[in-house]
Amino acid sequence: MAPTSTAPESGTITLEVNGTAVAFARPGTVALLDLLRNDLGLNGAKYGCGLGQCGACTVLVDGVPARACILPLAVARGRRVTTLEGLASAPGLHPVQQAFVDAQAAQCGYCLNGMILTTVALLARNPSPGEAEIRRELSGNLCRCGTHVEILKAVRRAAELMGSSGDAGADAGRRP
Amino acid sequence: MSGPADPRPPAGVLRVFRGDHPAGPLHEEPEAASPDPAGHGAELFLSVDAEGRVTAYNGHVDLGTGIGTALAQIVAEELDVALDAVTVVLGHTGRTPNQGATIASETVQVTAVPLRRAAAQARRHLVALAAAALDVPVADLAVEDGIVRRPGANAAVGYGELLRGRRIHLRLDEAGAVKPAAEHRLVGRSVPRRDIPAKATGAFTYVHDVRVEGMLHGRVVRPPYAGLDHGPFVGRSLVAVDESSVADVPGVVAVVVLGDFVGVVAEREEQAGRAAEALVTRWRGFAPGRDPGAGEAALRDNPSTPRVLLDRGDVAGGLAGAATPMRRTYTWPYQLHGSIGPSCSVADVRPDGITLWSGTQNPLMLRADIARLTGVAEDRIAIVRHEAAGCYGRNCADDVGADAVLLSRAVGRPVRVQLTREQEHLWEPKGTAQVMDVAGGLTAEGAPAAYDFETRYPSNGAPTLALLLTGIAEPVPQVFEMGDRTAVPPYDYADARVTVHDMPPIARASWIRGVSALPNSFAHESFIDELATAAGVDPVEYRLRHLSDARAVDLVRAVADRAGWQPHAVPQTLPADGDWLRGRGFAYAVYVHGKFPGTAAAWSAWVADVAVNRASGEVAVERIVVGQDSGLMINPAGVEHQIHGNVVQSTSRVLHEAVPFEGGLPAARDWGAYPILTFAQLPAIDVVTMDRPEEPPLGVGESASVPSAAAIANAIFDATGVRFREPPFTAERVRAALNPLPGPEAAGPAAAKPTARRRWRPRLAPALLAAGAATLGALAAACLPLRSAIPAVPRPDPAAFSAATIARGRLAAALGGCAVCHAGPSGTGLAGGRAIHTPFGTVFASNISPDAEAGIGAWSYPAFARAMQEGVSRDGRNLYPAHPYTSFARAPEAEIQALYAFLMAEPAEAQVPPPTRLAAPFGERRMMRLWNWLFLRGGPPAPDPARSAAWNRGRDLVEGLGHCSACHSPRNALGAERGGALHLAGGTVDGWDAPALAGLAAAPVPWTADALHAYLSTGHDPAHGVAAGPMAAVVRSLAALPDADRRAMAEYLAALQAPAAVAPESRAAALLAAAAAEPQGAPALGRQIYRGACAACHEADGPTLFGVRPALALNTSLHAARPDNLVRVVLEGLMDPAHPDLGTMPAFGRVYSDGQVAALLRYLRTRFAPDAPAWTDLDAAVARVRAALDAPRDPAIVEFPSD
Ligand code: FES
Ligand code: FES
Repeated sequence: MAPTSTAPESGTITLEVNGTAVAFARPGTVALLDLLRNDLGLNGAKYGCGLGQCGACTVLVDGVPARACILPLAVARGRRVTTLEGLASAPGLHPVQQAFVDAQAAQCGYCLNGMILTTVALLARNPSPGEAEIRRELSGNLCRCGTHVEILKAVRRAAELMGSSGDAGADAGRRP
Repeated sequence: MSGPADPRPPAGVLRVFRGDHPAGPLHEEPEAASPDPAGHGAELFLSVDAEGRVTAYNGHVDLGTGIGTALAQIVAEELDVALDAVTVVLGHTGRTPNQGATIASETVQVTAVPLRRAAAQARRHLVALAAAALDVPVADLAVEDGIVRRPGANAAVGYGELLRGRRIHLRLDEAGAVKPAAEHRLVGRSVPRRDIPAKATGAFTYVHDVRVEGMLHGRVVRPPYAGLDHGPFVGRSLVAVDESSVADVPGVVAVVVLGDFVGVVAEREEQAGRAAEALVTRWRGFAPGRDPGAGEAALRDNPSTPRVLLDRGDVAGGLAGAATPMRRTYTWPYQLHGSIGPSCSVADVRPDGITLWSGTQNPLMLRADIARLTGVAEDRIAIVRHEAAGCYGRNCADDVGADAVLLSRAVGRPVRVQLTREQEHLWEPKGTAQVMDVAGGLTAEGAPAAYDFETRYPSNGAPTLALLLTGIAEPVPQVFEMGDRTAVPPYDYADARVTVHDMPPIARASWIRGVSALPNSFAHESFIDELATAAGVDPVEYRLRHLSDARAVDLVRAVADRAGWQPHAVPQTLPADGDWLRGRGFAYAVYVHGKFPGTAAAWSAWVADVAVNRASGEVAVERIVVGQDSGLMINPAGVEHQIHGNVVQSTSRVLHEAVPFEGGLPAARDWGAYPILTFAQLPAIDVVTMDRPEEPPLGVGESASVPSAAAIANAIFDATGVRFREPPFTAERVRAALNPLPGPEAAGPAAAKPTARRRWRPRLAPALLAAGAATLGALAAACLPLRSAIPAVPRPDPAAFSAATIARGRLAAALGGCAVCHAGPSGTGLAGGRAIHTPFGTVFASNISPDAEAGIGAWSYPAFARAMQEGVSRDGRNLYPAHPYTSFARAPEAEIQALYAFLMAEPAEAQVPPPTRLAAPFGERRMMRLWNWLFLRGGPPAPDPARSAAWNRGRDLVEGLGHCSACHSPRNALGAERGGALHLAGGTVDGWDAPALAGLAAAPVPWTADALHAYLSTGHDPAHGVAAGPMAAVVRSLAALPDADRRAMAEYLAALQAPAAVAPESRAAALLAAAAAEPQGAPALGRQIYRGACAACHEADGPTLFGVRPALALNTSLHAARPDNLVRVVLEGLMDPAHPDLGTMPAFGRVYSDGQVAALLRYLRTRFAPDAPAWTDLDAAVARVRAALDAPRDPAIVEFPSD
């Protein structure tokens, strides 16, 4: 790979995580997932594959679902990152989180982070998605426990909750 | 919940123990500090403290099924306290009873029994205390929420109050009464799981989230004999570890080597990851034993011991007398548990003991392993159990725990070890393959003649890897007698024999959900379906005739009713829908677990509705009606969720899952090579639960998986009339059976002749070239003027140049991409050193910073201009044309001057790059004089008044400092760019094909000025793809130019295109439309990998994700004559994009074998470039490109001894 790069080895990288600006002197090649988990102690995003295949590490980057395991800091630089921890205005649950609790949409729950954040972004784009759209948007998120039925129920419930509360989350990833 | 309880002794407590308590079965002792609840060698089940809080202890762990909630319900029910008052402590050495491994879903069914009795016993004792305190007969008292009172009376006393100042120990009464079901108010009611809110907010602490003060990060490097745990080479294969290979990785604390155990420890996780990838290890060759990939043959060939479980009636006679004898073989593949989170552990090894945070299934067994591994006594080892990702059996949780202990011991600090996805996939103890033979048949009356069942199950307990790798445990195969689960058929076969062939493992294997019962039932339930068809009887009716278990009969009827089962004696009674055939299948099973004869868990039955595409072979499972008789359901919602989970997971296993093997080793390292079911393939699920509150609760964790394979196979038979006896029922297998097609290679477009590689490749044979070198050199020396050195000057003062000139020079440097080649090793500055691979050898970029010694600080402008335009260094030596002075010679003089000013104003760097050494004849720099005489044509071209100003500007940029032709023109035998019609006709650079820019460009869609402008500005054009390799760096460099310049370049380049026969938009639309559908007979492995690894980001209707979504049908590399660019992108990924908005693509070089990459490319070419000829020799092409990369797939070097 050529030496000029969006990922220089040194220098401070600044980004916004859950509404707070953070700055770290880390190589631009470091994955956002490592920064979130190990420097910021935000455990919502999980390591599952490191290859962008499972969605366990999902975060919202400027409101769009992104795989933090393959997102180098050089690419995350200057962007607005939302993690599972940053969804709700403390205390309490974001409506999508509430819907997942209501639908009991977890067995082990390891995939839950990706499912919830993907749903948040989906409902921000389309407050009442159809079944096909829901399935498509979740198709890059794997669940080995087979919680799919409850997860789909949770997404529909979330659409209901957000529709009724008027909190349509027009801007995904922004704290309500 | 599984969190540690408050360690402070409460001021008063009641505890229920099992085992001998020194003070006798019931005693009270004065309240005193006795913090160790199990300190008397007895096992503690329950405690109630003086606040009325209840803690329940259970030796099992939560494997992701929410078992803690069900246990809390049971305890709260018996004690009559609120659910919230109960804390459940699960599987924690030193605190919970030893109840063995959490397997076979027996937590509720078996291990909860003493806990329930303990709670009932505690209630009786507390009510007796209350009777005394209130002076009311026991019979008159009632309890609600832990408050005891006579109904209607005011006087009341709480459990906590009763215990204040008391310390009561009860010995568990194993026969004590429990509440009758009719009085249940909590048990049998759906209650929400208590762990989900924390899991939904990121507050839950999985083992992956454990952080310990002073913790370091570790990674392991596993041996090349992936997934094998026996054989003489295990633990004895490491030759050497080259620690210097990680010398330049920052943060590395230690490289730990113990036998074949290799690990690295670093300050940060990504540093540990980098070190583990970079570490060079050398291993002896090894010969794997039987090839697990051989399937049925491997199992038949494996030595075994028959164990007859059942032999009733006269089997031989029955078989001999059968009117229609039937012999069938059913085969099950190796499968993965596939936890979604690879295993992780944190260990802290201190002089006084070991603490291990682990997601283990069996804390006590793990503790024994750690004691054996370290020699530390078990009572100094604490296993702190945290939930991990769901595991469904034994995964790598124990392995990684032992790994963490070894690494922590080596560095004397806590170490967290995270396995990679690749390691978990390769090394997890697989769910084993299995082969079932059934001999039977029909009597003349259509009744079963006899049933002779044999099953082969190769597995062991998968000893913890570190024990094997360090040589502490002998790597000898052991035999586990686990093939007997549900080996006895549920039907009343009068003459029946059941034999289990116990055998050692082949690949490393251990139990997985539905251990052996799922494969055994696949055989039982397929065979009875075959009997029914042969007898001309409806399959459900036939089962009922031979089923005498009343609960089973009820369940079969209930499920058939719910599904609206239409009795039918022949297949294909449902109407087809075009190519989609429809079918419906039934299966029933009871999961019998534990050592034979075992214990029956819940009964389960399935009706599966499938659609089978007769052309493609694709099987869609559309609906499952699943019924279960679980006895008393503690938490009905929890049971239903478990059933859903079992249906989805087992459908995935049956349709999609088999571990691929290459050369006897597992070859799935990701979800592309081992796909699992996604939302797109989810069936509708209708659950029927039998209401049996008076029956004891049964395990529900696995039962609903057991009928899956047979129900689906029977449904496929119903749809197609063809029996499938070996899952997974992939499209490939089904199509091959229904509709045989020629092989994919032959089916593809006519194979093209390999395209001649002309670029960069000398037309003259190298020998001829070498022979002529001396002559040419002499000629050059004789005929051409020598160039003199230009005297050194002091570095010009940057202040001498105007800011405007420097700014202009900065743009010139961006256009020329100086830093693309001349940046220093850190990727910044101008210190040079980058290796540029040419067919003549490696040229190292020079230092062009203004350092007087190492760089160009002593160069006057004339010296600089001569280097730029004539390729002659200040000292008079010739430069190689890797420095594109033939292009720079065409740049306007003012640009060169500005560039000089800019470079002189940059910081000086003293680094000296490695010297360039080329092969003959180019090793002789004088040769270049002749070369220049032949090929250097100087001077900027005159403006063309017939063209627009933008075109003229574009030409200056492209042909001058932009030096596009340096990469995009072919070169002749002497490495010179070819001109005329071949100017910008495509070249190669550093192994990348640089596509043609002129004439009939290779892109599938003609380029337009707008498309070129987008591509040069963002590194992406939707109709062509993303800039990769050196072009990504060029785009980044061009970003500094004014937009008008990129426009001008686009305009000039667009004018070079041959006029398009078709409008670009309609061509793009046609290509996209052609690729939208799966081509018939598309290569199956490639399609599978594409779906698992590529589709989410590349498929047109994939999920919304950060970054662009390059359409592969329009991708230039996919339509190219050679696959090299595409291979390269797949192997190396694109983690350093031309523009950050593009997003990234991970590297798959470590994930896929050459064969897998080739299979992927075969699929991509067939589907996305259907008009292009198939690439031939793809395997070799992948190997060739891989060999040229800096980082090979596997750092392990395997040496095969010569003897
Ligand atoms: S861990 Fe990032 S997608 Fe799997
Ligand atoms: S709930 Fe376990 S992976 Fe989804």
